[in-house]
Amino acid sequence: MSNVLLRAQDVHKTYLLGKVPLRVLRGVNVDVRAGELLAVTGASGCGKSTLLHILGALDLPDKGSVRYDGQDVFRMSAARRDGVRNREVGFVFQFYHLLPELNVLENVLMPQMVGMGVFAWSGRRRDARARAEDILTRVGLSERIFHRPNELSGGERQRVAIARAMMNEPRFLLADEPTGNLDAKMGQGILECLRSLNENGQTIVLVTHDPNIAAAADRRIQLVDGRIEA
Amino acid sequence: MYKLFLTLRYLRRKWIAVFAMLSVWLCVAMVLIVFSVMDGFLENIKQHSRGLLSDIIVDVGTLQGFPYYDDFTKYMHEQLPDVVESVSPVIYNYAILRVKTGRAENITKPVRVVGIDLAGYASVNTFHDSLYYDKYYPGTTTFAPAPMPIAGLKLPPGTPEMPATTNAFADSAEYALPDPYPQAFARFKADHPDDPIVKNPKRPSVHSPDGVGYFENNFGQPGYEGKPLPGLIVGMDVIYSRKEDGEYERAMVRGEEIVLTMLPMTRKGTLAEDPVPLAMRLADESRTRVYQIDEICVYADFKLIQHMLSMDALQRVDGTMTKPRATQLLVRIRDGLDARVAKARIEKLWEEFCMGVFYDIPPQKYRALTDAERAQLRRGAREGWLTTVDPEDAILMSAVGVETWEDRQRGFIDAVEKEKVLVTILFLIISVVAVVLIGVIFHMIVMQKTRDIGIIKSLGATRWGVASIFLSYGAAVGIVGGILGVVCGSIFVYYINDIQDLLAHLNPNLRVWSPEVYTFDRIPNEVKPMAALVVFVAAVGTSMLGAAWPAIKAARVWPVQALRYE
Ligand SMILES: Nc1ncnc2c1ncn2[C@@H]1O[C@H](COP(=O)(O)OP(=O)(O)OP(=O)(O)O)[C@@H](O)[C@H]1O
Ligand SMILES: [Mg+2]
Repeated sequence: MSNVLLRAQDVHKTYLLGKVPLRVLRGVNVDVRAGELLAVTGASGCGKSTLLHILGALDLPDKGSVRYDGQDVFRMSAARRDGVRNREVGFVFQFYHLLPELNVLENVLMPQMVGMGVFAWSGRRRDARARAEDILTRVGLSERIFHRPNELSGGERQRVAIARAMMNEPRFLLADEPTGNLDAKMGQGILECLRSLNENGQTIVLVTHDPNIAAAADRRIQLVDGRIEA
Repeated sequence: MYKLFLTLRYLRRKWIAVFAMLSVWLCVAMVLIVFSVMDGFLENIKQHSRGLLSDIIVDVGTLQGFPYYDDFTKYMHEQLPDVVESVSPVIYNYAILRVKTGRAENITKPVRVVGIDLAGYASVNTFHDSLYYDKYYPGTTTFAPAPMPIAGLKLPPGTPEMPATTNAFADSAEYALPDPYPQAFARFKADHPDDPIVKNPKRPSVHSPDGVGYFENNFGQPGYEGKPLPGLIVGMDVIYSRKEDGEYERAMVRGEEIVLTMLPMTRKGTLAEDPVPLAMRLADESRTRVYQIDEICVYADFKLIQHMLSMDALQRVDGTMTKPRATQLLVRIRDGLDARVAKARIEKLWEEFCMGVFYDIPPQKYRALTDAERAQLRRGAREGWLTTVDPEDAILMSAVGVETWEDRQRGFIDAVEKEKVLVTILFLIISVVAVVLIGVIFHMIVMQKTRDIGIIKSLGATRWGVASIFLSYGAAVGIVGGILGVVCGSIFVYYINDIQDLLAHLNPNLRVWSPEVYTFDRIPNEVKPMAALVVFVAAVGTSMLGAAWPAIKAARVWPVQALRYE
């Protein structure tokens, strides 16, 4: 039990569509253990993304708790939660969400910049840049670091997003259908990329509806009717 | 760190930033221009009203004037040394002015004659600064009778031979200034390179209709011709017309003859004798820059005017003398004194003075009387049943009032104050429009960036951090736009008259500032540093506020909500 990094308990989330409540999550319980690659599957629209956002402290559940090492992220101060998002969570969005004005390198450096003041940054710049280039090389984008996101293919953007998520050495990486928009070959590449990260000890929670990818995970959970079906 | 980085990046990549800057720039320039011109206008009015009158005016309000003005002047100096700095008497009347020389063709027009003691008048107001020649030839403007100056054929002994090239002038009676002022003339030339006197140092004369006139005396001492004539200072717009560029078509020169026909008046206000024509000499020109004054006023020596109007001491049939009269006493009060306080004290002093004159009552005794008794005495004076003094005098003296320059200009100043309120309201509306415009632009910018805000927040940026990106964005836009606006607005205001002249040159209908309407012949063209600073700070503040409000709003939501924004 001691190696549970993240524990979500009885998470509820309801969206209001006009007057009609859409109960997407109805008491989800998830444990994420250190070093595992956990796959969350489920039908389209069943609430996988919603769950992952809540796990990453990017959205507020109606009920329930999400604990990082026993600390409830929704009970802490906003400033501390911001710090947690910056240092402990690496989030890969379903639709990449890169900053269009910045080039690949700058996008990847952004988590470091967010975490530092001007002076700290000027001291750490060189190291940070070396690290960013290293990560980009690992995801196979060393040739592309000065391109802007709109000059990249979907798979490349996804890899930039992964690199960015890895930048601050997060305790866990949350990836929302990282292969969903890609063809099989690209998807395979991304999967391999995640696998190799995982092999190096990175904890990963992966949302997918692709059975092949789910099969590659250490553990699978399925979201059905707003609950986890083991 | 990311704040600065993103701010710079957004500024560089977004055209909309340029747009926002442009609108700040225009708003700042516009507000500064409107404010400067209005403020300058008000300042001008106040300054001129005071400068051309005096702090306090003791005025009878009728053309006959009032007697005992000189005794009262003395009495004021004695009794209120802590209030009164200097006093100068003035006579106002009307006359027909007639000029018949050279290019100033046949001018015959009604003018307002102001009889002043030149030195005394200069000590109570700023009239002296308005003189044209005196500025260049200081001390030469005088009302004293003088012949017309000429630099003539008769050269004083010992004058060096004239250079051959200038001999042409010697043939035709040249005019020159009464004294040699080569430096002054050099200065004049430098300041007025286009003045007809400089371009063509000749004046029209009977001898050669095209004109000879010579202002710099090359030949040693000048000569004079004709009978000595008393000096007259003429308002610039009386004899000259303004050209499109705001300067005057100056057609006369100093020393030329002007005839003034006046109407002498008895103390009752009836015509005392036939109108008296008086030949005078153009001593100087006055440009107060208040059109309503410059268009009608001419100034001559107080004593002379007093005499011409039969307002000096005259012998009665019984051999006694009447008291000389003046229309106004202009009083300059001591610096730092409140004009209202001074007015009240002078008013009281005048009443006591009158009672002393009328009834021989000493001030202490008068002060001891009851209100009813005083009212009785005053009525007696107004209705002229008095023993110790000429009843006519008593009636005139009872009509005298004491005013501050502000009371005097009350109607005008009130009108301008109203205008100021109106303009302030307009100004506020303009500001509101500017603020809304800037707010809308920033709202657009922030909305465009909502997704980015979501991303940055998901990476752990704080609410304040996100807001500060847009705050610095707003500040940068405000500072750049503000500086451009202040600079452009100031330049525009500085050259506003030239701009108007240029427009008027293209199409006369574009002349928006007319001296008849706005009193002053030039548009005020000064920008106060304080005003510029206030407008600038307001612009920066508004831009920051306009940016901060939508940014804070956007930064407050959960990252996912911002990300989902389309
Ligand atoms: N902000 C919102 N307001 C209303 N309904 C929402 C909102 N966000 C999500 N939903 C709804 O909640 C349900 C779950 O959405 P979610 O994005 O979590 O599904 P998903 O499992 O990730 O689907 P997909 O596999 O297609 O990505 C969907 O029906 C969606 O329409
Ligand atoms: Mg999804």
